Amino acid sequence: MRKIARNRKGITPVLSSLLMTVIAVAGMSLAITATYVITDGLHDNMGERLIVEDVSFTSDQISLYLRNVGKVSVNIDAVYVNRTSQSFNALELEQGKHGYLNVTYGWSADSTYEIKVVTRRGTNIVDYYMSPS
Amino acid sequence: MWIITCRRLKKDRRGISNIIVVALSLVIILAIVSNIVLWNYEMNQVDWEKMRESVVIRDVERGSGSQFTFENDGGLTVHLVSLWIINSTDRQRYDISVIINSAETKNYIRGDISLPEGNYTVKAVTERGNIAVYFGS
Repeated sequence: MRKIARNRKGITPVLSSLLMTVIAVAGMSLAITATYVITDGLHDNMGERLIVEDVSFTSDQISLYLRNVGKVSVNIDAVYVNRTSQSFNALELEQGKHGYLNVTYGWSADSTYEIKVVTRRGTNIVDYYMSPS
Repeated sequence: MWIITCRRLKKDRRGISNIIVVALSLVIILAIVSNIVLWNYEMNQVDWEKMRESVVIRDVERGSGSQFTFENDGGLTVHLVSLWIINSTDRQRYDISVIINSAETKNYIRGDISLPEGNYTVKAVTERGNIAVYFGS
């Protein structure tokens, strides 16, 4: 028993193998995490679909009724009216959900507006809408 | 000769780690590519179905409530999820759930919807994101 306890031969290869295993496992988990992050981001970008059901013009406000027809939840990040950024109420739509996006904007009657809605992942929908007379 | 070569190859461990690294890298690359390709295929399918979908509002009638006649002239079953009644002063949205098979015409009666006087617009929105519009008076 004492002989075995004192015998230090072969310890270094065991330690080095152990270290190599730890490094290999760490490297693989890093690679797998990176793979997950990359594909998840691309997934979400490709899965976004959004439609504007209706647009209404009320006093100093343009209301867009949005529906998420994609495969992931959508977060509205910016709204542009005639290529100028406007303030709006925060809106997050889960898959299949719908709701009003109210944009603060002093519009004029009988005018055409280019309204662009941009999501946090960069998807954008743009169309032209005419204000009532 | 063949046996000697086999023995030599069995004993020769040089280059094994390189092969393992390449194999693992290939697995990771394959996982990424297949994941993206499959998802892309699924989203293409969604867009293709949206393009193939076609629904028309054939008629809107006043009665005890309102009767809407929808016709699906596309190749896929349509699920209507939203109905808008719009006139110059008001716009109302109603949640609906109407499923219309391909080439089918369906009457949808709603007692709680009253059509406005004068000119109005009816919009029906499908689950895939298409909109059918009807102008009435």
